[in-house]
Amino acid sequence: MRQSFLVIFLVVGTSLLCRSQESPYIVTYDHHLEEPGNLEIENYATLGVPRADQNFYAAPWMEIEYGVTARWTAELYLEGQGTAGDSAVFTGWRIENRFRPLKREHRINPVLYLEYEDITEASRIQKEITGGAPDVTSPNSELQPIKNHELEGKLILSGTIHDWNLAGNFITEKNLSRSEGFEFGYAFGFSRPLATLASAERCRLCRENFIAGVEFYGGLGSTADGVGVRDTAHYVAPVVSWQVSENGSIHFSPSFALNGLGSPMLIRVGYSYEIHGFGSKLAQMFGGKH
Amino acid sequence: MRRLAPIATVAVTLVIAVFGQNSGYQQDSSWRAPVEAAARANPLASRPESAAGGQKLFHRNCVECHGEDGSGLIKKHAADLQLPLVQQQSDGTLFWKITNGNPDRGMPSFSKLPELQRWQLVLYLRTLKPKLVPHSKDGNNQ
Repeated sequence: MRQSFLVIFLVVGTSLLCRSQESPYIVTYDHHLEEPGNLEIENYATLGVPRADQNFYAAPWMEIEYGVTARWTAELYLEGQGTAGDSAVFTGWRIENRFRPLKREHRINPVLYLEYEDITEASRIQKEITGGAPDVTSPNSELQPIKNHELEGKLILSGTIHDWNLAGNFITEKNLSRSEGFEFGYAFGFSRPLATLASAERCRLCRENFIAGVEFYGGLGSTADGVGVRDTAHYVAPVVSWQVSENGSIHFSPSFALNGLGSPMLIRVGYSYEIHGFGSKLAQMFGGKH
Repeated sequence: MRRLAPIATVAVTLVIAVFGQNSGYQQDSSWRAPVEAAARANPLASRPESAAGGQKLFHRNCVECHGEDGSGLIKKHAADLQLPLVQQQSDGTLFWKITNGNPDRGMPSFSKLPELQRWQLVLYLRTLKPKLVPHSKDGNNQ
């Protein structure tokens, strides 16, 4: 435990020299993509507060996000899960791509999202909720052998009005490993920086370094079991991000269940670190012209 | 020979500095701010002290491509922000360009920054020392 705190302290402490105005959302995507050539490494965890018949679980995941161009961001996810009184397992990986079809900034900016997932049924990061509710009661020994190859698409619509970001995601997922039909989900949120004018000094606790908001997300059923909001999990989640350094941000969000499905509360914590000009540096190492 | 070493070092540094900058930057003629956007006035124009915050934002967001002094890095094909070609553009045009970016040229949109912070950036850009270099007829584009 002491070692974990030391690692967190070192990661935060060593990054104090280094930028970004990060979106505070954990589940909802807005229209801002990674800047071209930048690499962002994000470490998150979903902590599931149990109901009476459930166990506490922690589902960490790592995102490695790269800005391929100004209109295309690619990302790799690695995820795992550990449940109290059960076991810890690696639950798989995902590759996602986000494309901005329109060049300019508009009132509503669409982004197309495509993801391939190679995960097991034991996945509990709940980066999105589709179909009904995730199984958080069965033991890992039952869930881990069930492999899922899934394709997921999202339509992201997002815009900024008077410094308020409003974003909505419409999610469709197809499990290629078994016939579950198409599953649907949603996420939407709004957020705003606590201050909109930058101070002259370099400061860590200035209001301009904080962005706060709220997001809502949940499942919308499936073509196999019926489309709708009944028998699906729904959450409301205040979100906050704190830019602790030029490159680093801390994210925090407690999600509260709006019905009796899934976990009653999900606590999300994360730290993201951005490496600027990563593509150029890599190209230089290999003698490229970048 | 030893006396020549510092002179040679300074000369090499100057050559690198000159050729590392992008004063020969060619503008993208298709990157034009709409007339109404170009006509917008900077709401912080009466608060020049806000440029200090703009400088901080510039160092966070722009230096990587435009360089510490805004002269633009050749390897990034980034505009030399000191050029009259850039400095003669209206505040509204610069604001629009920061907001929208120019994806075809690798300039990302900075719409994620609050509106006032983008105006602070414009305010700071005005403090960059303009270079006396002849420029093209069209002042709207860079």
